[in-house]
Amino acid sequence: MRALVIDDSRAMRRIVTGILTDLGYEVRDAGHGGEGLDVLNEGWVPDLATIDWNMPVMDGLQFVSAVRSNPAWRRMTMMMVTSESEHTQIVRALAAGAHEYMIKPFTADAFRDKLALLGLLPQEVAL
Amino acid sequence: MTAQDTGERRRTSDARPVITDLMDEGTILAVAEEAWVSLVGEEEVLVPLAGELPADVVSSWVDVVGPWTGSVVLTTGQATAEALSRALLREAAPEVLEPEDVEDAFGEIANVVGGSVKAALPGPSGLSLPQVGHAPLVRNPVDVCRVDVLWRGEPLTISVQGALPPLPASH
Repeated sequence: MRALVIDDSRAMRRIVTGILTDLGYEVRDAGHGGEGLDVLNEGWVPDLATIDWNMPVMDGLQFVSAVRSNPAWRRMTMMMVTSESEHTQIVRALAAGAHEYMIKPFTADAFRDKLALLGLLPQEVAL
Repeated sequence: MTAQDTGERRRTSDARPVITDLMDEGTILAVAEEAWVSLVGEEEVLVPLAGELPADVVSSWVDVVGPWTGSVVLTTGQATAEALSRALLREAAPEVLEPEDVEDAFGEIANVVGGSVKAALPGPSGLSLPQVGHAPLVRNPVDVCRVDVLWRGEPLTISVQGALPPLPASH
């Protein structure tokens, strides 16, 4: 399985990448939504994208909207991973097309539980 | 006897809230502890004791803009900020940390703590991108809620401080 980690913090990208790699994911990362779109436009379409909200250049909500406007990327699951925890923000992200919402701070176990809910735990891990 | 409307009640309710009306030190400490366990490590403990900050302090902060406007500021010594960054990056930490690595990691801790503080405040509010450097000035000494902790024996402060000067006295 493939995952694209989009976050302007290198530290956070490394943390999320570490969790996903341990679960057997092939991971690429991007520093903002625009870089994330560049990866998709290369033809590298992941099963999962984790997306920070507040980022320079192109924020997470703009990225989600851009992905949803392209039918070729429809099968990609998008999970916001962000410190924005207001209910209205969560509703906005889900309305824009995100599938799930993970609030920072989180533990590796909580992250894994979200993936299980989404049916995105690799089979050998889920067993 | 008919009560006169002196305007006192209206002025009180119209007054801008200060942070101590909205949260206390215990909330800030709980928010920081949760962030530490998640980001820095499960065994990492914040001890709620004050220590003397060294001369070479560095701060990371995010701004909150909404019904309450201000900053959530973490301040510690440069060496402690570097140690925090290493703890955050774990095995991904480079042998030699660049200043950008510290800015990024220390800033992300402020981002996470700030996001949780914002969640405890009345909303809706906006959250800025994190910044690292010299902490913003305290504009109103009454509009500050500060927690002093020790992490691995080193002092660190978490200050939630208003960005606006005191309102003029109303008479």
